[in-house]
Amino acid sequence: MTSPGLRLRPPRQEDFSTGLRSQAVTARVGLWLGICFGIAFLTGLWSHYGQDIPGWLAWPTSPSWGYRVTQGLHITAGSAAVPLLLVKLWSVYPRLFQMVPRRPSRTVLLHVLERGSIGVLVAAALFQLVTGLMNSSQWYPWSFSFRSAHYAIGWLAIGSLVLHVGVKLPIIRRALTGPVEQEDTAHIPPEADPPPAGQDESSDAPVAGATVRSEDPSRSGWITRRGLLRTTWVAAGLAAVSTAFGGTLPGLRTVSVFGVRSGDGPQGVPINRSAAAAAVLPAAQDPGWRLTLVNGDSTTELSRADLEALPQHTASLPIACVEGWSASAEWTGVRVSDLLAMVDAPAESDVFVQSLQQRLSFGSSVLPGNVAADPDTLLALQLFGETLHIDHGFPCRIIAPNRPGVWQTKWVSRLEVLT
Amino acid sequence: MSPPASSGWENGWLVSRLLLGAAGLAAAAYGGWLLWEQRDDAVSLGLWLAGGVLLHDAVLSPLLVAGGLVLARFVPEQWRVPVVVAVVVWGSITLLAIPVLGEFGALPDNPTLLDRPYLTTWAVLTAVLAAGVVAAALVVRRRAERKPRRVGS
Repeated sequence: MTSPGLRLRPPRQEDFSTGLRSQAVTARVGLWLGICFGIAFLTGLWSHYGQDIPGWLAWPTSPSWGYRVTQGLHITAGSAAVPLLLVKLWSVYPRLFQMVPRRPSRTVLLHVLERGSIGVLVAAALFQLVTGLMNSSQWYPWSFSFRSAHYAIGWLAIGSLVLHVGVKLPIIRRALTGPVEQEDTAHIPPEADPPPAGQDESSDAPVAGATVRSEDPSRSGWITRRGLLRTTWVAAGLAAVSTAFGGTLPGLRTVSVFGVRSGDGPQGVPINRSAAAAAVLPAAQDPGWRLTLVNGDSTTELSRADLEALPQHTASLPIACVEGWSASAEWTGVRVSDLLAMVDAPAESDVFVQSLQQRLSFGSSVLPGNVAADPDTLLALQLFGETLHIDHGFPCRIIAPNRPGVWQTKWVSRLEVLT
Repeated sequence: MSPPASSGWENGWLVSRLLLGAAGLAAAAYGGWLLWEQRDDAVSLGLWLAGGVLLHDAVLSPLLVAGGLVLARFVPEQWRVPVVVAVVVWGSITLLAIPVLGEFGALPDNPTLLDRPYLTTWAVLTAVLAAGVVAAALVVRRRAERKPRRVGS
């Protein structure tokens, strides 16, 4: 296979062309990638706390669209990050083949640590985007818990990202303040600004002299750095609009051609878990169904007709899922606070909500006192003026402002005041 | 993180770097600890963490490098920029759309999930981009024909 003097060997960093692969491109794409990961991290943290409210946090009930918007942003940032991450990794791929310095040992140690941290960053970033996307289409071909893993690796990703920015800050600063295009490749000295020892960062520098001859991006009909950046922004924008936007902004539904939901569903609202999947079908349709209200020793049972006879209120509230889709709807039913008053519960009591659903997760929820007391928190009987569809939780469901969809418990059978 | 050489780095930048490094390490360590608590799923987690890197570094990236070589060696100049633009857009959108294109998460009892004509849309996107590449290449060639070639370029 090999001719004399030509041996097959693993590629080296110097083997790759460098006109386009440059710090100018890497830093600019990296900046937006960092912004997307920052948004996704903060909105993800918000959702995590919303699903499992820590003691120190009083989860607000307003604005009612808060959860909807933050989770729409989460998915949008994650979708836009896909093209950004691909271009970013492409631009630094040669560095994978960088030689480990031989000495001094301190340099070797720093080199190994830095590459290790980048390995963690890349693994975590890819994991977050891949599993997040798959979760939004409800595809789970793994045995770990999505929520726990996505949360833990979210911390790992943001931590190694911040560390990476700290390590690269001088290069990032130089690249972002410098020109995008090479002014004239031939005249760039190989080491314009030598980085500190142990940080052989410049992907341009080692080969600047060598590559000028073979490749000059501006002249050989090749795309320019600016062109590549513009293409990347277009790809990121398309990614965000085509998969994510329409899930949150009803006006953009038709544009989100790769969105996981068209927004249609029974009574014009999508569902996440059907009555059949929750195995509530006989129980929810049983005329003998009763809602049980419990406060200590005091217990009251109400039929659906009893509930319909109570004062009704209508609230326009979104149902918003962690997967980034949401839909506004008009719910009519009895205020939870009115029901609590029937069993003499003190104002702002926490309330345990039990569903008829016995299997799978989210068969119950807890309404924190401030949520239960909110005048818009309803035990809904109607959706858009019609009797609630069985897949939306007939005979009745909880709907409260600014809550994760999984806590908007359907097929409610019991409300119990927690003391 | 070695202290900067005498190249004029202000102390503020050094402090920012150290703070970023410390905050990053702390957050990553917290993530690592959370992950350690899920060690019962270590195999599955490890597979998905390493799998992404392997697929990217050993499959996708070599394919892109090979594509670049093919483009540089065999594709006429006027096609190169349109092809690169189309590949970046088409490739990333296609990867992003894999879960919906395959409809792997579809549920028989929930018609409100994955209820768009994804494959048709994807075919239209592919056709539009291909047409765009051809059109752009023709425009580039016409422009090049009109403009007399500069000497030496």
